[in-house]
Amino acid sequence: MSDKRALVVDDEFHIVQVVSIKLKNNGFEVFTADNGSNAYELACEMKPDIIVTDYQMPVMSGLQLIEKLRENTDTVHIPVIMLTARGFAIEDEVKEKLRVSACLSKPFSPREVLQVVEDVLKQGVGV
Amino acid sequence: MKKELLIWKILGAGYLTAAVIALAGGLGLLPAGVILASIAGLFLCGVFFGYVVRRHLKKLKSISLSLSSQALIIPADFRGTLLEEITFSIRDFLSRSQDQLARVQEENQGLSLQLQLLRRRKSNVEEIINSIYDAVVVTDERERIILANEATEQLFGFMFENDKPKIITEVIQERGLIDLMTKTRQSKTAHVRHELTFQRQGQPVSFDTVLSCVEDDAGNVIQVVAVLHDITREKEIAQMKNDFVSHVSHELKTPLASINAYAEMLVDGEAQDTETIQQFCGIIQGQAQRLGRLIEDILNISRIESGLIKVKKETHSLALVIRDAVEMIKSYAQEKNIQIESPASILYDQVYVDRDMISQVVINLLSNAVKYMPAGGRIKVSSELDEVEGQVKITITDTGVGIPPEDVEHVFDKFYRVQANNQYAKGTGLGLNLVKQIVETVHEGNVFVTSTVGKGSTFGFVLPLAAERIAQSV
Repeated sequence: MSDKRALVVDDEFHIVQVVSIKLKNNGFEVFTADNGSNAYELACEMKPDIIVTDYQMPVMSGLQLIEKLRENTDTVHIPVIMLTARGFAIEDEVKEKLRVSACLSKPFSPREVLQVVEDVLKQGVGV
Repeated sequence: MKKELLIWKILGAGYLTAAVIALAGGLGLLPAGVILASIAGLFLCGVFFGYVVRRHLKKLKSISLSLSSQALIIPADFRGTLLEEITFSIRDFLSRSQDQLARVQEENQGLSLQLQLLRRRKSNVEEIINSIYDAVVVTDERERIILANEATEQLFGFMFENDKPKIITEVIQERGLIDLMTKTRQSKTAHVRHELTFQRQGQPVSFDTVLSCVEDDAGNVIQVVAVLHDITREKEIAQMKNDFVSHVSHELKTPLASINAYAEMLVDGEAQDTETIQQFCGIIQGQAQRLGRLIEDILNISRIESGLIKVKKETHSLALVIRDAVEMIKSYAQEKNIQIESPASILYDQVYVDRDMISQVVINLLSNAVKYMPAGGRIKVSSELDEVEGQVKITITDTGVGIPPEDVEHVFDKFYRVQANNQYAKGTGLGLNLVKQIVETVHEGNVFVTSTVGKGSTFGFVLPLAAERIAQSV
């Protein structure tokens, strides 16, 4: 069991719910947001240990969210895992530049999400 | 022959004798009477000689006339004489000349035919090259344009003059093409293929360019040929296909992701109570239905575009179709406290349509109006009959969020989503495209939209009346 805090971001309610339940059932405290803008505000306020975010979202996309997080000294270190239906569209250079810890393509397995979240937290990736 | 020789011999001897006597007389060796007699003899010989020559000339004239008429008649007294020999020689000469002349005339005729054939071929080749949609341009070793078809003239905006070849850089500004032609000449490459992109009227146009060299017997490059095939549209279609696949995969993966994730959660026992299990199952079912609708929309659009959809057209009252569609959407509208005003019934609004398809059009437009409208809004459906034009116009006006001006012209495009309105509702970007396909492709009507951000939108369509449609089909 973990006492970590996770922020789950997706404009699809069902995706947010399923990832949240999986993480909660495994000891995470979970916050949710339905777009990048709301997520950024929550991240600044709650300082989560990890963020799991969708790529394509209204108002602010997942990539834009990470760009903003990396510009802020309070959030620059937070590791981010990207869930995407277009995993192939994110270039390695961009992932490296924005320090995206991992990318998981939709449809994904909640088990796999949990495993990756735990691995990333163990490695302390993000900075 | 002997007689003739004898005459010439007598004449010759007479002249010689008279000349000797005259000479001797002149020297005072002979008496004056002898000299006078010799002169008289000389005169008589001259007269006789003249007579003989004139007679022969007359005969020669008649022979020459007979030669020209190709019916040779030789006088009897000429036979066996020198004149007969001369006549035969002339006849042979003329005969050979005529043969040679005939041969020359024949060759000349052949050459003339060949020339005509070559001219016709050249003209034909020019016509063929000019009829080619692709731009064809040929330069010589001095980089002068020696051939350019009409497509080239239109593409680069110049007039090709056969008798005034111009240096390529004088008339073509596209450095990429000029460099390629120079490089091809220098490298003596048989065939080179390159993609070139120019700007035309502010838009990029792409060409699949094939270049080749023409060499003389010594292997020197004397001409470079460039053929430019416009692939702008092909590239656009390829891009559209890529976008389509990308959009479809994204749209299909989203509900699939939910189905997969919730099913796994059930398998893993993450749903610990009955209520949660039922909730997960409900989500799986809902997402599966969403997936099904999405696939159906994609297939419908694809069927309409390819002309494979089965259309069952009959005469229907449009007001009734709208009334039924409004009934179907009413409960959804009431959830958001949105009022729908239905049209007043029209005396005659019969349209020749596939009822289910037109019903789908109205439902899509109404559900969009509800989706993009804050609670408490209003939707007005109205119809307008234009008997002069033989058509009926349906408009659906809402008091919703509106569409930014830059998005308005794209809202009927496949997979187009108004980013600014994404926060209000989920969508696939297929609903309005399906509306457009059904109205315009299947029913030969047209769709329209106007909108003001913050005030609302008006979507609508125009369909021909059944009478008009039937009259057109007769």
